[in-house]
Amino acid sequence: MAMMPKRVKHRKSQRGRIRGNATRGNRVVFGDYGLQAMQGGWISAQVIEAGRIAAQQYLRTEGRLYVRVFPHKPITSIPLETRMGKGKGEPEYWAAVVKPGTILYEISGVSEEAARLCFARLAHKMPVKVRFVRRRPTI
Amino acid sequence: MAEEVTVEIRTDQGKRRIRRLRKAGKTPAVLYGHGQASVSLAVPTEQLEAVIRHGSRVVKLRGALQEQAIIRELQWDIYGLEILHVDFVRVYEHEMVEIKVPLELRGEAPGVKEGGVLEQLVHEVRIQCDVNVIPEKVYVSVHGLGLNGSVSLAAVELPPKAKLLDDPETVVVQCIAPKEMEEEEAIPAAASGEPELIGRKPEQEEEKEEEE
Repeated sequence: MAMMPKRVKHRKSQRGRIRGNATRGNRVVFGDYGLQAMQGGWISAQVIEAGRIAAQQYLRTEGRLYVRVFPHKPITSIPLETRMGKGKGEPEYWAAVVKPGTILYEISGVSEEAARLCFARLAHKMPVKVRFVRRRPTI
Repeated sequence: MAEEVTVEIRTDQGKRRIRRLRKAGKTPAVLYGHGQASVSLAVPTEQLEAVIRHGSRVVKLRGALQEQAIIRELQWDIYGLEILHVDFVRVYEHEMVEIKVPLELRGEAPGVKEGGVLEQLVHEVRIQCDVNVIPEKVYVSVHGLGLNGSVSLAAVELPPKAKLLDDPETVVVQCIAPKEMEEEEAIPAAASGEPELIGRKPEQEEEKEEEE
């Protein structure tokens, strides 16, 4: 089952706009390699989970995978063939709001080659353009 | 080993001029420290990137200035592709400096052969050492790390006269049993349906109150 918050203040949220780039969560912190979003967008809980499973199946018991995004935003929709009006739709799924530059996943404990192959599989499932990144040098 | 960097005194300020400077293949920089006046500089980006790539921390500034400095801070763009600005701090020969150095693991842990996974929790460490002997990296040996074991910062191999500034009891690396796929999937499965609303009473309580 996909991720979702345990407790929320409001059942529904407004759509909002994705403005600017990620100034937080834009560097590899926990692992050695990361997958960075190059576009903004909503990434649904199902997609995050699908990516996690794809990576985990490739890694097997080697290395460690870190998921850096969480679906905090409830996305609503109105049923098909419904007349206009009658208020906002019901929550359908949960999504993570991703700004360009956000690190989506991180991997540690594997070689760079293995991490690249793993993220290549995972990247196919992402609804935004992504790229492979390394940890920034320590200064 | 200190690398040489050719610097120019920079009089241009403001974002448009700085953007032009970056397009021309130079990176804005600043030099400060030792109670002297700070100086705005421009450094060739290629040279700076080479210094960073080689892991050098001490640089000899040549050209408009003849000084020795350490790289204190780097500003990166949002994607971590380009260096936007660099801070240099003046240092004397044999001065003791506080600096962060990357931490790497050395050796093979027996716990991995038993089926465990190494999890490195600390990737950089703060040390105080002579400016001439700043290590590129410091290492922690994991030769004796078994399954469900851990190694703390006290085991870090430091260069002579270097002092550890971080808490020596901090766990650097641990060897844990790998999580099974099914076990991981079971965690989010517990949260099904809709999440609880903060500040809203459960429906059963609301119904009871209405009845009363």
